[in-house]
Amino acid sequence: MDFRLDDEQEMIVQTIRRFAERDLRGWAADADRAGAPPDRLRAIGAELGFFVDAVPAGSHGSLDGAYAHVTRALRGFELGRGCAGLAALLETNVDPALAVATWGTTAAQQALFASLGQGGLATFAHDSRGNLTIEDTDGELRVSGKLGPTPALATASHVLIAAQQALFLLATDGVARQPITPSGWRAAQWATATLDAHRVPADFVLARGEPARTAIACVLSWIRTSLAARAAGVATGAMEHAEAYAGGRVQFGQSIGTFESLIRLRDDALTGASAARLMALYAAWAIDTGAPNAADAASRARVHAGDVVARATVDAVQIFGGYGFVNDYPVEKLMRDARAFEALYGDERLGRVLAAKAAG
Amino acid sequence: MDMFHDNPMLQNVRQMLGAFAKQMMRPISIKHDQEESMPWELMKAAQGVGMTQTAVLDGRKRLTGVDEDPDPKKPKSQARIGVAASEELAWGCAGIALALGGSGLAASPIARMGNAEQKDEFRKLLKGDDAHGHLKIAAMALSEPGTGSDISGLKTAARRDGHYWIIRGSKQWITNGQSASAYIVWAQTEPAAGRAGVRAFLVARDTPGLVPGKKETKLGIRASETAQVHFEDVRVHQDMMLGGAHSGGGPAGGLSDTKKMLDSTRPAVGAQAVGIARAAYEYLLERVRGGSLHGTPMASHQHIMFELAEMHMEISASRLLVHRAAWMADHHLDNVADASAAKAHGARTVQHVTHRAMVLLGEEALEPGHPVEKWYRDAKIYDIFEGTGQIQRRIIARHLTGQNPT
Repeated sequence: MDFRLDDEQEMIVQTIRRFAERDLRGWAADADRAGAPPDRLRAIGAELGFFVDAVPAGSHGSLDGAYAHVTRALRGFELGRGCAGLAALLETNVDPALAVATWGTTAAQQALFASLGQGGLATFAHDSRGNLTIEDTDGELRVSGKLGPTPALATASHVLIAAQQALFLLATDGVARQPITPSGWRAAQWATATLDAHRVPADFVLARGEPARTAIACVLSWIRTSLAARAAGVATGAMEHAEAYAGGRVQFGQSIGTFESLIRLRDDALTGASAARLMALYAAWAIDTGAPNAADAASRARVHAGDVVARATVDAVQIFGGYGFVNDYPVEKLMRDARAFEALYGDERLGRVLAAKAAG
Repeated sequence: MDMFHDNPMLQNVRQMLGAFAKQMMRPISIKHDQEESMPWELMKAAQGVGMTQTAVLDGRKRLTGVDEDPDPKKPKSQARIGVAASEELAWGCAGIALALGGSGLAASPIARMGNAEQKDEFRKLLKGDDAHGHLKIAAMALSEPGTGSDISGLKTAARRDGHYWIIRGSKQWITNGQSASAYIVWAQTEPAAGRAGVRAFLVARDTPGLVPGKKETKLGIRASETAQVHFEDVRVHQDMMLGGAHSGGGPAGGLSDTKKMLDSTRPAVGAQAVGIARAAYEYLLERVRGGSLHGTPMASHQHIMFELAEMHMEISASRLLVHRAAWMADHHLDNVADASAAKAHGARTVQHVTHRAMVLLGEEALEPGHPVEKWYRDAKIYDIFEGTGQIQRRIIARHLTGQNPT
């Protein structure tokens, strides 16, 4: 077992760390207030290799060989330290691109990769509560119901949908989308969509039945691992802000950073975040190596990271006190941002309980 | 002991304010949260049911015809009425509740330390509408940029100039700070005297040098205005100092009175936290009763139902602590540690309940305007204002050992 990063991983971490600290943190507050990303995000993100890094090199992308989820988790942690909402946009293409590359037809690959190659975005939605109705007729699907809230859906050209026993790609042309701005990840260009017997051609159905169940578990393990890594980054970032603030704030004649109760809050949060990061990296390694427990490891990583980011951001606001509650300081945004890590794609704990119960 | 059973007066309070919260507050709650606007229309309408901006002063006078309590040793019911009312109003909307009662924060020191002339002046300043046609409101200006939890370190200074005091300094996180017509300002009048030199002054908004500052954009309780207020050599007549000058041997008015005042409000703050927690719990319960999960009733899942049971236990425990602290106050018993316990426990409960309710609701709670998401944001302030959770534990710990742990 070797916990050291190789040279390429180290280079990526250092590059994304600089980007997160200088650019993402610098943009975060304005993007949050505006409910939109800065115009430069696309260009700078593309320069750094985002958006097409999971698209095969021969199909307008830069992926040559197997996708490295460990590298994605490493960079996800750094992105989380920068801004969760902008990180969601930077990471949004990965899961649809990998899924379509793995299970998609040539037609689906051509459609999606051409769009992503031209700067388009895609996103992923999981019908975790069975809200969508799907009719399977002559190979094509008719989908009805409400989709989302889903990040990037407002601008995405395609959405990968995991629903019941089907995994399929939906082109958003002609879909009634309602852009929304939730209180967290406000810059992530969210939307909901209402589908009314919307037709999904057979070419865009990636998997059905049992194969779909396996494929969906696989996609969820990718995105859960990425979410867990980013959540660990947000938790760490929250405590970095809190530590800097506490060091300069004096109450009752001493720096509040020296009060034992606040040291404990910070220390517990960073302990939790360290564990969450390691769990995410382990899940990523399990995915990359095809370990049979990859899906379970990813799910556990997300449960823990969700707990950690919720607690750490609340405690960061606590350390800031009254200043933590107002928008001039960064941590109240982080507390709002933390929510999506637990809510997106369904309550992870509930999912685990139901799965275990069904398995007997 | 009657703390476990509502007397008819408490039942009436619950019934009346519960209906007011449901019919008048809930329908406009999300709108004012999203707009970050004060509910000015409701504030006017609320006067009709006794929620005036000077209610803290008028309540006793309306009942007895005089400001003074005729029999201060007799058990009262004010604190218990206060916590019952606070829970109901916060159930409706904590931000709107604070907007409705924000002037009470300023009226409390007037009621406690003010003389008849000062009380009349306060009432006069809040009579009628302001220049925007809004109800006139008041603000208590205590906290400062460098003075959050540690109120003994106030930097705002008042220096004597003949029959006047000249106030200079800045205040932070002031409820109603931007729109108030009357301010109760705490300032250090005699630095060498330390805490004993701190005094409160009644200052009219139009006094030269009083400059309302930036309105804060907040995580929660957004229907209540919070702002900075600056005092740039504000000249106030000595008659508007509450309780008399320290060196003049005034009977009351120092920081110890402020602390007693904060002690007295803590059960009500804990009750507000209970109200929000109850709102989130009831919302989830309603969804669970009618909801299904992949074809099975939500209520058939232990994972969900045990969480609801946990919430029920936490809310009940918090409410009992709140009512015990209030009952002790009504019976003139020392409740400092109990009030802190009620406030701290309520804060913990409301944060936990709103968070778990959101998680169990899943993605739907991400939608803008979802009430549980709003309650989650509202909840956090209960661990911060009126003494942080750490301050409450410090008070309780000092009560246990006589020492201030650091």
